Amino acid sequence: MSNRTVRIKVKTMTAWRQRIRPEQLRELSLVVLIAAALLIFGWQIENFLSARTFNRIATSVAIVGMVAIGQTLVVLTRNIDLSVGSIVGFTAYFVGSQLAANNAMGAPVAVALAVAVGGLMGLINGLIVAYGRVPAIITTLGTLAIYRMLLINYANARTVTVDSLPSWVVDFSRQTLLSIGDFAVRPLMVVTLATVVVFQFVLGYTVFGRRLYAIGSNPEAARFAGLPAQRLVLIAFTLCGMLAGLAGFLFLARFGTITAVAGQGIELESVAAVVVGGVNTFGGSGTALGALLGAFLIDLLGQGLLRWLGISEFWRDALLGLLILLAVASDAVILGWLRQLWQRGAEVNHGR
Amino acid sequence: MHGAPVLEMRDISRRFGNTQALDGVSLRLYPGEIHALLGENGAGKSTLIKIMTGVHQPDSGQILLDGRPVHIGSTLEAQRLGIAAIYQEPLMYPDLNVAENIFIAHANRGPWVDWRRMYRDAENILSQLDVRLDVRQPARGLSVAAQQTVEIARALSLQVRVLIMDEPTAALSAHEVDQLFAIVQRLRDQGVAILFISHRLEEVFRIADRITILRDGQLISSAPRADVTPERAIRDMAGRAIELLFPRRDTVRDRVLVQVRDLGRTGVFSGISFDVREGEVLGFAGLVGARRTDVGLALFGIAPADSGTIVIDGHAVRITKPAQAMRYGIAYASEDRRGLGLSLPMSIAANITLPMLRRYLTPMGLLRRNAEASTAEEYRRRLSIRTPSVEVEVSRLSGGNQQKVMLSKWLNTKPRLLILDEPTRGIDVGAKAEVHQMIDDLAAEGVAIILISSDLPEVLAMSDRVLVMREGRQMGIFNRREATQERILAAAMGQSETLTS
Repeated sequence: MSNRTVRIKVKTMTAWRQRIRPEQLRELSLVVLIAAALLIFGWQIENFLSARTFNRIATSVAIVGMVAIGQTLVVLTRNIDLSVGSIVGFTAYFVGSQLAANNAMGAPVAVALAVAVGGLMGLINGLIVAYGRVPAIITTLGTLAIYRMLLINYANARTVTVDSLPSWVVDFSRQTLLSIGDFAVRPLMVVTLATVVVFQFVLGYTVFGRRLYAIGSNPEAARFAGLPAQRLVLIAFTLCGMLAGLAGFLFLARFGTITAVAGQGIELESVAAVVVGGVNTFGGSGTALGALLGAFLIDLLGQGLLRWLGISEFWRDALLGLLILLAVASDAVILGWLRQLWQRGAEVNHGR
Repeated sequence: MHGAPVLEMRDISRRFGNTQALDGVSLRLYPGEIHALLGENGAGKSTLIKIMTGVHQPDSGQILLDGRPVHIGSTLEAQRLGIAAIYQEPLMYPDLNVAENIFIAHANRGPWVDWRRMYRDAENILSQLDVRLDVRQPARGLSVAAQQTVEIARALSLQVRVLIMDEPTAALSAHEVDQLFAIVQRLRDQGVAILFISHRLEEVFRIADRITILRDGQLISSAPRADVTPERAIRDMAGRAIELLFPRRDTVRDRVLVQVRDLGRTGVFSGISFDVREGEVLGFAGLVGARRTDVGLALFGIAPADSGTIVIDGHAVRITKPAQAMRYGIAYASEDRRGLGLSLPMSIAANITLPMLRRYLTPMGLLRRNAEASTAEEYRRRLSIRTPSVEVEVSRLSGGNQQKVMLSKWLNTKPRLLILDEPTRGIDVGAKAEVHQMIDDLAAEGVAIILISSDLPEVLAMSDRVLVMREGRQMGIFNRREATQERILAAAMGQSETLTS
C-alpha cells in the first residue's frame, strides 16, 4: 500500500469515527442482531418471513415499545418504573369502560383521558421518588400493586368487551393505512413510531433531554451545574406515566376485551426492551430508538423461538429474564471492546 | 533507652506515577515510645502509614519487625504482625454493639459466637484502658471519641504492638483530647509503640517523646522532643523548594467585587471575613480539615452559610442554590472532578455547555449542537485540551485533560468570581503550568479568583493575598509581601505569630 492510500484510509476512518460513537454502534449492532435473527428464523421456519409474522410483531411491539420509550426517560435518570404494567392495564380498562358507557365519546377525548390518567399515576410515582426520596424500585413496586388493586376494585370482576365499545376503537387497530404487498402499515405502529421520533429528538436536541442524561450520568455534577434534579425526575416519571397511558389506549384498541389483569408483565417487558436496547441502567446513556429496537428484537426472538423450538408461552418470561442478563453483561463487555478498538484507532491517528 | 526497636522502616521509597511520594525514608519505632510524625500535606506521611499497614508496597527498602525483615502484604497481615492504625474517622459498624465492634476482626474462632465470653473480654479490655462504656450498646450514636476508644480496644484485642494514630484528635473537643491522651499514655506505659500524626503542634509537643519531620517524601529531621522547638519544626516542614515559581502579573483592580463578613455554617466554619477585588487572586491556605472547601461550597450555594453576610457589587445577597450563585456570576470548580465535576459518559462538548444550555437554543427551543461544538473547540484551543475530537466522552481523557474540561465548563459560565478548589491536584507538571497561566490570564481579564490549594508553594506563587484557615476558623490574611511558607504554616497549625518571628 502506498503512503497515499494509507493517508486517505486514515482520513476516512477519522471522519467516520467522529460521526459514529460506540454508543451508536450499539444501535447498529441491534439492527445487525435483528437481521441475523430474521435470516436464521426465515431459513429454519417455514413461512416465517411473511406479512403475517411482521404484522403480528409490529402490533405487539407498538404497545411494549410505547411503554419502553417512557421507561427510557426514567432509566436515563438512574431510576426505574415498575408500575407501568398496572398503568397500562388501568387506563385500558378505565378508558374502555368510559367508552362503553358513553359511545358518543370521540377519539381525541378518549386518548386525552388515557394520557391524563396515566400521567397522574406517573406524577404520583415521581412525587414520591423525587420529593419523598424513596428509592424508585420500592416506590414503583408499591404503586404497581396499588394501581392494580385500584383496577381490580374498579372493575369489580367485570370485563370491557369489544361489543360494548364504539366501532372506531377496534377499527383503529385493524385499519390499514398503507400496504406494501401483504405488509400492512397499521395505525398502532405509526403512533409508536411517531412517538419514538419525537422522543429521539427530545433526548438529542432539547435542554430537557440533555439534562436527563446529565442527572443520570452524574447526579452530583448535575447539582453543581445548577440543574433542578428533583423537577427533572418528576417530569420523567410523569411523561413515563403519560406514555404508559397512551399505551393503555393502544392496548384497548388492539384487544378490545379488557379484564382486570390487562397489561400484567409489561413492566418486565419494557425494562427488558430498554436494557437490551442499550439504555444504561446506571443512567446517562441510551436512546428511545434503541429501546424500540430492543422491544422489537425481544418480540422477534420470542415469536421465532416459539415457532422454531416449540417452546411454550411460559418460556417467554424466562427468555426475557435471560435477555436482560445477557444485555447487561454484554453491555459492559461489548462496549468496552468497541471502545478499545475505537481508542486504538484514535491513537493511530493521534500519533500521526 | 528502650532497647531494640519493634518496627524499623529502612530506606523506604515509593513512587506514584510522576510523584516520588517517599524517597529513602528510615524510621524506628521503639516500644513504650510516642513518636510524632509531622509534615505538610503531601509530605509522604499517609504513604508511610499505608506501607506500614500493608495498603501499599514499597518500591524499595526494608521493613524489620523485631529485627527480622517482614513483608506486609495487606492490612490483615499487618494486624497479624501486631500493627494497627486508627484514623480521624473511626471505622465502625453502627448496627453492631460495642463488643462486636471490638472483636469484629477476630475470624477463625469457629462458627459460633460465645457471647458471654465476648462481653467479658470486651469489658476487660475497656477497663484496661480505664474507660467506662456499655459493651452491649450499639455503636450508632456513640461520640467520635467513644468510637475511637472502641477502635483502640479493637487494636488491643489483636495484641497490638505498633499503634498508628492518624490525626485522631481532629474531631475531638479539648476534654476528649485529654481523655484520649490519657489512654495513649497508658498504652505507652504498657509498652506499645505509638506513631502519632497531628496537625496540632501544641498536642505534638505535649505528648510526643520523639518528633520526626517529613517533607516532599524525604526525612528532614528526627529528634527527641526536648531537642526540638516549634519554630524549628515549622521551618523543617516548610523550607520547600518552590519549583515553577509562576510570575504573576499585577492584575488587581480597585473595584471590590465580593465582600464576605463573618460568614459561618453551624458546626462547620465560622467568622470568615474577606474582600475580593476584580482581577485579584485570593489564596485559601490551610491543612487538611481546615474547612476551606466548605467556605467555597457555601459561596456557591451547595451547603449554604447560615450566618454572616455576602455582598456582591454592593448588594447583600443570600445564596442557597448553585443556580442562584451562577446568576451572581459565581462559579465553583470542584476538587473532586470525577465525583462532582464531570459527567464522565458524556462528551466534552456536552460537559462544557451543561450549566449554560439555554445559551445554545434556536428560536424554536432546540439545541444548536454546532454552536456547542464550536464553544468546545474554542476551549480546546485556549486550554490546549488534547483530544481527537470534542465529541469524545470525558471518561476517556487523561486527568489533566479532564481537569481542563471542567475548568472550561466553568469558564464558559463567564464567571466574575471563580472559585478553584485544588485545580492542579493529580495533574502533571505541564498541565499544571497551563492551569497557572490560565489563572493569570483570567485575573488580567478582571475575574476575581479564590484559589483553594493545599500546595503551599502554588498558593504563594499565584495569590495576591492569602487567607489562612484552621479547623473552620480564619487565622489571618497575609498580603503577598508578608506571606512566607513559615508564617502560613504557623497560622495553619495554630501557632501564634510571635512564635515564628
